[in-house]
Amino acid sequence: MRALSIASTGMLAQQTNVEVIANNLANMNTTAFKQQRAEFQDLLYQNIQVPGSQTSDQGTYAPNGIQLGAGVRTAAVYRITTQGDLKSTGNPYDVAIQGPGFFRVQQADGTDAYSRSGNFSLSPQGQLVTQDGLIVQPGIAIPQNTLSVSINAQGQVNATIAGNSTPQTVGQLELTRFPNEAGLQALGSNLYIETPGSGSPQAGVPGSVGYGTIQQGFLETSNVNSVDEITALITAQRAYEMNSKVISAADQMLQDASRLGS
Amino acid sequence: MDNSLLVSLSQQLAAFRAIDVIANNIANASTPGYKRESTKFEEYIAQMHPAEGETGSQSVSFVKDAGTMRDLAQGHMTQTGAPFDLAINGKGFFAVQTPQGLRYTRDGHFSLDANGQIVNSSGYALQGDGGAITITPDDGDIRIAPDGTVSGRTGQLAKVRVADFADEYAMVKQGANLYSTDQQAQTPAVIDIRQGALEGSNVQPVLEISHMIEVMRAYEATATLTKNQQDMKRDAVEKLGAMPVS
Repeated sequence: MRALSIASTGMLAQQTNVEVIANNLANMNTTAFKQQRAEFQDLLYQNIQVPGSQTSDQGTYAPNGIQLGAGVRTAAVYRITTQGDLKSTGNPYDVAIQGPGFFRVQQADGTDAYSRSGNFSLSPQGQLVTQDGLIVQPGIAIPQNTLSVSINAQGQVNATIAGNSTPQTVGQLELTRFPNEAGLQALGSNLYIETPGSGSPQAGVPGSVGYGTIQQGFLETSNVNSVDEITALITAQRAYEMNSKVISAADQMLQDASRLGS
Repeated sequence: MDNSLLVSLSQQLAAFRAIDVIANNIANASTPGYKRESTKFEEYIAQMHPAEGETGSQSVSFVKDAGTMRDLAQGHMTQTGAPFDLAINGKGFFAVQTPQGLRYTRDGHFSLDANGQIVNSSGYALQGDGGAITITPDDGDIRIAPDGTVSGRTGQLAKVRVADFADEYAMVKQGANLYSTDQQAQTPAVIDIRQGALEGSNVQPVLEISHMIEVMRAYEATATLTKNQQDMKRDAVEKLGAMPVS
């Protein structure tokens, strides 16, 4: 009796589904979080009778075979990389990317990581860093006694320094894009790293063809839609319940079978 | 041998198979493009030789599984917003190139791989009119028109191939949402592809659960019947055995 194991694959899959949904909902207010979805595939089939097998030597064929499936498995948990809404914060070091691209930051071990979360701050040395203190690449240092900083759509960082009314260019933000953004590996802390699935990074200036533009004073919100998630949660929960019903039905049948000999 | 036990046994085996198929449907209630299966049973009639002192012939009918029928009805459309999630509204299948050759699927979840090719979650390339479809980051936002035309910033890039077959029911499920067939692929008269949506499974939970209860109850009834027959036999042996030997 396969029903028991088939239904258990169904329960496992729905459990994964609920976990993915829970993570989406937990990150609803995470800057630039990208919603994830679990995708399922059916498992192998046992062919007891292949469709189209011959049923007589007169050339008649069975229109349907007997194929018994073995359940379901999680094929992928993929990220939906659509643009999140932009939320105004008024903070000069909050920058949002409108369109494709990632900021490049240097991790503590010297390797590159990528992020769309643009809630930057200044380090004690005046460098533009993420909330975890990772330096945004290429490094941009804001001079001391800077009165105001403006970042334009092309990522050019201009600082107005005390005693000089003309703003000076102090740096240029860069964006990195990938052939397959969804193939990036999430590290947590809003960081992603390159994988063989994402392809190699291509750096470019914001606003050029294929790259997004920069919005100063804004943050990209997560693209999680709470209504969608709750609906998906209800569906997943009901599907889980139904799989457990199959298990109890199969159990009942086996019980009946074992009572036969008594 | 007493046939009634064997008839019950055939029914019980059929019920086991039916519950397996239902379990697989329910397990795949969230699998995109999954098509539900149902079992079909037929009567198998065996002619019995009349016992001594009886006239005429008797026949006994057993249950035998004839096939699993695939329900190819359209699954519901779920909006996902992902640019490479495609759903076919109506007939047809997407073609993907696997190491074993072309396979067909209704599961329209695709994404890009490291080379910019549109692939499914196993990494098999979606087939366009000219083979695999490659997208470069310079193409910007990709639009896929209802007829399958893939276009980017620079215009038309490729066209998604939709294959239809004379006998869809004869296609063999391969697992991983793929079907194989050796039939000649045709182009359906109307192609309607929806971008940013997935075709859900066409499993109807209410139907499956009620069917499951039905199978379970039928099984229970047969089990009781079998038990009664056994009791009857035991009683007979006990009572006949208790008769005084003359």
